[in-house]
Amino acid sequence: MVHILGVLLRDNSFVKIALTRFYGIGYPTAERICARFQIHDRCKIKSLTPSQITSLASFLASPSTTPLMPILPLASPDYEPPKSTPPMPQMLKRDEVSERRKRDPLVGLKIETELRRQIRENIAHHRMIGSYVGRRHAMGMPVRGQNTRNNAQNARKFNKIERRG
Amino acid sequence: GPYFVAFPNLREALQNNLPIQTQARACTILPSFVGIRFMVHNGKSYLPVTVTQDMVGHKLGEFAPTRKRFTYK
Repeated sequence: MVHILGVLLRDNSFVKIALTRFYGIGYPTAERICARFQIHDRCKIKSLTPSQITSLASFLASPSTTPLMPILPLASPDYEPPKSTPPMPQMLKRDEVSERRKRDPLVGLKIETELRRQIRENIAHHRMIGSYVGRRHAMGMPVRGQNTRNNAQNARKFNKIERRG
Repeated sequence: GPYFVAFPNLREALQNNLPIQTQARACTILPSFVGIRFMVHNGKSYLPVTVTQDMVGHKLGEFAPTRKRFTYK
């Protein structure tokens, strides 16, 4: 049982499935994160080294400010990792970093509290300007033009000014 | 680019604070519209909408509801 950023991850589950337990990470983002940290897809939480866990935790704490690593070549099948930890690969130069950051899909990643705050701000913005979207959230009705004669149960559950989940 | 309608009396409306009546609900609100009072059509009557800075990317029709609220007697 590993704690990352307040979320408990089960030892026996695959890393890319366990990462989806965070609010704001689904299957595609979890796969991207595993690829970024070079964790293979059948790797379980119990086989992660402490350094990997800390690097994952620091990445998830602020995805936009994590330093970018250079893209290393894949190891051959008969590669044996050295017993001692290898030295840190050289950091990227300034222009390369900005170029990579523009195309990087994980830079704008928001998780947990930040994401919830952003969602609440968006709803509050709509309410403040008095638009149709804000009105529907206030009434607890579906916002995107769904039918309300039947079947509006999820909207009634979730669509509030202080929207949860 | 965004869809918008060129209003001929935009400048006078800004200076004299006159409302502009429109049926163009699909018109995007531009930064030059800020501070103007529009009377947006909702099918039956014209509803007053005062444009603020936050409303800039939205359309005029979002601020004029078209249906009466459902009440069961």
